[in-house]
Amino acid sequence: MAKVKMKRTGFVLDMTPLVDIAFLLLTFFMFTAKFKSEAESEQKFQIKRPKASADTSKLPDKNLAIIKIAIDSVTPNDTSYYYEMTNEKDRSIVYASAPGLEDAQRTKMQIKASLVALDGLIRETRISNPATRFAIDADKRVRFKWVSDCMEVMRKNRATAFNLVTDKKQGM
Amino acid sequence: MAGGGSLGEGREKAKRGKPSKRKKKKRVGFHLDMTPLVDIAFLLLTFFMFTTTMTQPQVMEMFVPPDIKTDVIVKESELYTLRVRGDGKIFYNMAKDEPQVMELKNLKKMSFEENLKQKNRLITVLKIDDNAPYDVVIKVLDELNLAEGDLIPALSKINLKRERRFTIAPLTDKEIEEIKSL
Repeated sequence: MAKVKMKRTGFVLDMTPLVDIAFLLLTFFMFTAKFKSEAESEQKFQIKRPKASADTSKLPDKNLAIIKIAIDSVTPNDTSYYYEMTNEKDRSIVYASAPGLEDAQRTKMQIKASLVALDGLIRETRISNPATRFAIDADKRVRFKWVSDCMEVMRKNRATAFNLVTDKKQGM
Repeated sequence: MAGGGSLGEGREKAKRGKPSKRKKKKRVGFHLDMTPLVDIAFLLLTFFMFTTTMTQPQVMEMFVPPDIKTDVIVKESELYTLRVRGDGKIFYNMAKDEPQVMELKNLKKMSFEENLKQKNRLITVLKIDDNAPYDVVIKVLDELNLAEGDLIPALSKINLKRERRFTIAPLTDKEIEEIKSL
């Protein structure tokens, strides 16, 4: 006798546990999500950070000034310095008073700067808020000259303690 | 879902306030269609899952002396020089020895052993060519930092406190010449 397939009319699946877990994960990801800062969405390059494993401390996000040394994605081999600050109050003061900047640059989040302009920016930052921490975020393909020049400028402005930004080495 | 019926009956007995004319409908087997809710929930879930980056950048702490005009005099026999050439090759020499090629993977071990041999007096000097890729510089610094991690407990065993680390010095033309043909 052939088995007659039971019709599954009005079949209800209890989705409650599924929804519970889905919402749990959803809230978790919503709270941990960190969005790109305004300065980052402005930039036209992506930094390939070098990988390191020894130091595992995290980048502070308060009162931080980042000097980015990046290779332009549109025109390769075009390296330049970019200056960025996380403290908005300090940023407006520093960007307004730093010498050697074009007026259009002063309202931006991120400033593309020459070494001379960088010197002015770092000096103004040191004056307006001496507690500012500095970090160099350089692309791993740049020549060391870029980094050593930047370090020299920072040394001149008495910003003697700073951080080099790296990515975590995987599989350690 | 069966509980819905009994709950309604219970409420009828213990009436509060004005008695309502309308009899409340029994909600037996009540079902809420959760499908659109689940759809949206999962849509948002996948969105947040794909947009979050879990890896936060790390930092490597650096200190530079505020003034390098004053000369620091060190014994040459305690000097361990590491050079990074423009093409990213690494060379090392102890004191006045001839520079030799160094593989990156041996760097940690070498640095550790030399430091232990000299009982904390060794000064590591890092000389980097302007054209050296930044990647190699960080790798060298990382290896030296890893060696530090091993050195501190090893030295504390023989009652020594780790003080000296390493310094970065400029690479002169003469020194470039020395490692040019290697």
